[in-house]
Amino acid sequence: MRVGVVGGGSWGTALAQLLADNGNDVLFWMRHGEAAEAINRTRHNPRYLPEVELGPGVQATTELARIGSECRVVLMVVPSHGLRAVARELGDQLDGGHVLIHGVKGIEPVTYKRMTQILREETCCRKIGVLSGPNLAKEVALRQPSAAVIASHFDEVVQTGRELLWSSSFRVYGSSDVVGVEFAGAVKNVMAIAAGLAQGLGFGMNTMALLVTRGLAEIARLGMAEGARLESFQGLAGIGDLMATCFSPLSRNHRVGERLASGQTLDEIVRSMDQVAEGIKTTRTVHELASELGVYMPITAGVHRILFEAVSPREVLADLMDITRYVYEFAP
Amino acid sequence: MDGELGRIFELERERERIVRTVVEREAARKMAAPGLLELILNDAAFFEIARLEDSGSSELARWRSLYRRLGRMDEEQRRAELLGLLERYAGDVVGNFRPGVYRFATRVVPVGLSLLMRPQLNLDRLLNLSTVRERILVQGEIPLVRQLARRGTLILAPTHLSNLDSIVIGWSLLSNDLPPFTYGAGKNLFFNPLISFFMHNLGAYKVDRRLKFTLYKDVLKAYSQVLLEEGYHSLFFPGGTRSRSGAVENKLKLGLLGTGIAAAIANPERPIFVVPCTLNYHLVLEAETLIDDYLKEQGTSRYIIEDDESSRLSRVLAYARKSLALDASMVIHYGAPMDLWGNRVDPQGVSFDDRGRPVDTRRYLMVGDRLEASPQRDAEYVVELGAKLAAAFHRNTVALSTHLVAYALFSYLRRQRPEVDLYAFVRMPPAEPLALVTVMQESERVRNALLQLADRGRILLGSQVRKGPVEAIVAGALRYFGMYHKRPVMVREGDGIRINDMKLLLYYHNRLADFDLERVLARDLVAALPASTSPLRAASASLDPGFAATPDGVRTARVAGGYADRQPEAGSSEASNSTGGPR
Repeated sequence: MRVGVVGGGSWGTALAQLLADNGNDVLFWMRHGEAAEAINRTRHNPRYLPEVELGPGVQATTELARIGSECRVVLMVVPSHGLRAVARELGDQLDGGHVLIHGVKGIEPVTYKRMTQILREETCCRKIGVLSGPNLAKEVALRQPSAAVIASHFDEVVQTGRELLWSSSFRVYGSSDVVGVEFAGAVKNVMAIAAGLAQGLGFGMNTMALLVTRGLAEIARLGMAEGARLESFQGLAGIGDLMATCFSPLSRNHRVGERLASGQTLDEIVRSMDQVAEGIKTTRTVHELASELGVYMPITAGVHRILFEAVSPREVLADLMDITRYVYEFAP
Repeated sequence: MDGELGRIFELERERERIVRTVVEREAARKMAAPGLLELILNDAAFFEIARLEDSGSSELARWRSLYRRLGRMDEEQRRAELLGLLERYAGDVVGNFRPGVYRFATRVVPVGLSLLMRPQLNLDRLLNLSTVRERILVQGEIPLVRQLARRGTLILAPTHLSNLDSIVIGWSLLSNDLPPFTYGAGKNLFFNPLISFFMHNLGAYKVDRRLKFTLYKDVLKAYSQVLLEEGYHSLFFPGGTRSRSGAVENKLKLGLLGTGIAAAIANPERPIFVVPCTLNYHLVLEAETLIDDYLKEQGTSRYIIEDDESSRLSRVLAYARKSLALDASMVIHYGAPMDLWGNRVDPQGVSFDDRGRPVDTRRYLMVGDRLEASPQRDAEYVVELGAKLAAAFHRNTVALSTHLVAYALFSYLRRQRPEVDLYAFVRMPPAEPLALVTVMQESERVRNALLQLADRGRILLGSQVRKGPVEAIVAGALRYFGMYHKRPVMVREGDGIRINDMKLLLYYHNRLADFDLERVLARDLVAALPASTSPLRAASASLDPGFAATPDGVRTARVAGGYADRQPEAGSSEASNSTGGPR
């Protein structure tokens, strides 16, 4: 089967390799002509995961129209802020039979839309799903044992995704809780920044475990306020992804936190990064959404203060540790 | 001309064949898997015995005998039994349509309606429809619906408040050159011989809601599917039953809606269009019974009410004479038609996605390169269509003066006593009349919020509500509220307004309870605070979860609709229906 991968970043590259490993014919779309040309010539993506060799089944292209007309299944892995525009353009070639699966972890600012909602608005497709989980692109590309979740309201989407991606090093679970899987994936990026901060401040595993556990609680609170199911947060897309992001120095969001702890400003950090750290925008969006819904998210509020209200990490930390004096919480 | 109006004019000739098709299809489906028959028959016998247990009906003995013999029957006997039941129920369900009766009714009904509304004989006015036209406004996408009726099969999906709904819809179709529709009517409505005669001959088919077993429901669905795929325009009330609370429907019954997808697969040549439609009454005939039933025991309210106001002719007449005596006393709004996937449809019947691109809807139904049913996929399509319809119901709701004033006063009173539970609350009307100045103030605030919602396309406004001023709206509501109900819901008393009936106030308030009005109102309040308090708000919002329950002033409320935007399962709509308060 010919499968489209839209987005030439690290995750797109790892997925293209995974799909090709499984014997699929992959049409790999990216914006940069030089990168596409280099892949077709050298079998390596010069910009992301250059060490990964892409098999002959992967064909790179810059023509988005080919994806819609040549592939019945499309994996969308562009940064969240770019998804709407790409989907709208791609939508010209899509019909109601296409299966769309995205691997984008974010929530649209202002509208608070999830990525499946954006795909639904920008295309005529209904068979839409989300791929999420503890998937650091580099480790997946190195064929280290990993697993992910595909969630969709349509069994066909889950089934298709599992058949395409399942391999000896990659397990794929199914779910119908789209809201839960999307919220878990997006909001954990906020916790990743917090984890980077904690590490940057020189704290050890106690702090990290505190952060992960209480972070998960507030992610689940928000998700459930939007209709998610609790189980999703206990699975790979929830606690699984959260652990990988918080513990791994490979995570971009984690690095943002570390550098903040070392005293760099957000501006400096953003300017020096070549890939998007989704967690920065997500923090703002999630913080606003939580206040609108009346969901209590103290860690998110703390990260928000550090990123956007120029409060020092130490001060926020002090407030966070003090908070239970004022607010009694039931710790699940 | 009749042919133009649709297949329904052929129903009389075709009904035998339709019944046969239903029986054959269901028989084939049920005989497909071995062992299935026993389950199906057992299910039917079980539910019928439970239902008839205390009735002493002769039916009971028959079902008991079947129940006993079932285990020993061979496949041949079971088939015979199944065929017998299918024939019986398909024959019971099937409706008829007699053009002669239709033509008679088209002449008589408007005259009758005019008579009801203007009892002094005035032949000039009787002979045209203008009297009724002034009373019942029909608005919305009528030309588009008319065009689509020729291109495909229509499913008309109205909100449901009253047993008068089907009559006024019938009238609105007739007076706008729209075709007659076939529709399922509760069997209890067929008990009155006169009504039964008309319903039976005007395309209604019988739905016996007491029958709970699968075989019967399957026959209903098969019948509905055959009608749709053969091009009979059909009317479903997706709310399933009259809204007990008075709120706009949020949870829809999807069963019959689902037959649309099956019909589209069976007959891809004839597209199916869904037309959402809202019925907006200043006063509702059965309001007292409905809200009583709602409050009695939420969740266990009776699905079938046989003894409400609509069964008493004197109440119906009083209602028609009094409530419908004023101009624009009800508004029927036809919303934009959509395809079975919620896509917009143009006059040629072409579907368009949210970005205005044409959509080939057959692609939704393909498995490989063939059109094919896929139960899980199709069920999901129907869930999404249900969400689209619920959103359309809200968008196309027309807020009228009685709704506005009831909403304003009920939520005002509720804010004074938030600690009292709803059931106790509606039993204690305020001892003193509400000061007129308060009534005006509260109504003005709600009107402002409604204007904002209307600007964003989230609700429609009746002409009085739109025009204002608030004094006229309150006066209009008082006039209606004093007109028909046994006791006026509210009356002017000195410098104030006395609330007589809290339950009815709740009922009319509920019409606007699901529109996030509280959120819009709260935002206006916060916006009115001096700017210096905002850091305080931000600080306490991040510390105190309780405070954060007050919506943040900056954000606009999110627009409903879109992928997976359906309500969480656990009855959040229930909660907001009943109190209208913020979560």
